[in-house]
Amino acid sequence: MTRNEIKDTLLEIIADIDDEADFSSLDADAPLRDQLDLDSMDFLDIVMELRKRYKLQIPEEEYPQLATLTSCISYLEPKLKDV
Amino acid sequence: MYHLLIIGGGLSGIAAGIRAARFGLKTLVLEQHSHPGGLNSYYFRQGRLFETGLHAMTNFAPAGQKHAPLNKLLRQLNLRRRQFDLREQIASEIYFNGQSLLFTNDPAVLEAEIAREFPGAIDRFRQLKEEIADHDPFTPGPRRSARQFLDHYLQEQKLVDMLLLPLMIYGNAEEDDMDLDQFVIMFRAIFVEGLFRPSGTIRDFLELLLRQYREFGGELRLKSPVVELLTGNGRVTGALLANGEVVTARVVLSTAGIPETMRLVSWAASPQPYIGRMSFMEIMALVPRMHSASLPPDRTVLFYHKGAELKYRRPEDYLDLSWGVICFSQNFAGLESADPLQIRMTHPANYSLWRRLAPESYSQIKQQWTEAAITASEEMIGKYRSSVVYRDSFTPVTIERYTRKAQGAVYGSSIKIKNGMTPWPNLYLAGTDQGFLGIIGAMLSGITIVNQHILKRSYAD
Repeated sequence: MTRNEIKDTLLEIIADIDDEADFSSLDADAPLRDQLDLDSMDFLDIVMELRKRYKLQIPEEEYPQLATLTSCISYLEPKLKDV
Repeated sequence: MYHLLIIGGGLSGIAAGIRAARFGLKTLVLEQHSHPGGLNSYYFRQGRLFETGLHAMTNFAPAGQKHAPLNKLLRQLNLRRRQFDLREQIASEIYFNGQSLLFTNDPAVLEAEIAREFPGAIDRFRQLKEEIADHDPFTPGPRRSARQFLDHYLQEQKLVDMLLLPLMIYGNAEEDDMDLDQFVIMFRAIFVEGLFRPSGTIRDFLELLLRQYREFGGELRLKSPVVELLTGNGRVTGALLANGEVVTARVVLSTAGIPETMRLVSWAASPQPYIGRMSFMEIMALVPRMHSASLPPDRTVLFYHKGAELKYRRPEDYLDLSWGVICFSQNFAGLESADPLQIRMTHPANYSLWRRLAPESYSQIKQQWTEAAITASEEMIGKYRSSVVYRDSFTPVTIERYTRKAQGAVYGSSIKIKNGMTPWPNLYLAGTDQGFLGIIGAMLSGITIVNQHILKRSYAD
């Protein structure tokens, strides 16, 4: 997957978790949780959805690398290069 | 081989099932009864649907309040708020020997009522509310007494009892006192967030949840009682059903309560400390709208106490009529035109006495106490007995039979297992005995245990 495809997938996953999420003013380099008002339960859903779709195991200690949209994409890029 | 087997198709089991199925676990819910819902189910009499548990749901939150428990819960189940038509209570009342406090889903109403009825305590009540807002009930800690906490803040016994009664009736397994964390959860659920119900029946609500569960690939089997949980090498391997079938699974979640789970899995410990003592008799009376003029049109739930000292405990007699709840099921915003009206009455009941009755005297005693409860309620809401076109009731024995809650204890054990763990590494508990009570609480319990213990491991791989 390209970086752009990963971005679209992530936004689609978040939109499915929270249908009121507003991406219009999203800063890709600022924490997702604060901007979209997500809590830890919502965050778990992103991780679980990635696991379900791509069989990706994301260990809990690596969750911090999913903090911003840009850091998410960078973290996922090598893992999803063959998808 | 299932990834996850859930014992019990009540609200905690269904919510747990939705979470697991949503993320790809092959999940089966087993329910002994012919209808789903557990404590919050329904049945038919004379072509009419009766709900078994629901008076009102707690934790009302408007759409858009993202962090409110109700909205979090719906997000976790991947349901949209607009799929639900929710109706708020009109107003509820706490009545103790001539003094009355009203509350609605606007917390300012209760505060104004306390200022009027207990002017000397209003500043202390405001302080108490701040203390409650700052208290985190979810961090594990030593048990604290809600009564001591309230006595310390309010210094007004009657006000303490008046505030405790609704919170205890809708969510306290203990006798006489309440765990402080549980008190804080219930205070926010009822006095801060408030009461509501779906516009449809509990059956509609359950069907909506089950559609979601099935859409994610979850399976439900009704009329499938589990007679034993099978073990081997220190793990649970599956369940033996009453029809002789064996269902195997990698992980099992039991919502049957601690005593029943102990029995099913031959857990080498005494169930005695985990058998709750609080059970209730519920009486439903239908009154045609044309004969309802004398009944209050603007009260949703009435909590009352007529005695000297509030006895929230198993009564000595079949029922304790000195306190109770009367719920007017149609007195929610926009549901007022229902016909006939339904009046639901709840009183604490003594399981052992009801259990001991021979079948031939059971229905006669039940009839007698139904009449006595109607008389008690008429003192509160005026005469209506002669207009009742249908009545029905159920006792702690009925509750135990249909839900397997030991001794019909609707709020389960007074000792909760909050982390949901058992001596078996792949057997977990959710629902009443894990610790979150009521409809919203039960669903949050199922969700939390699946999130904490099941989703994060690789049971599906």
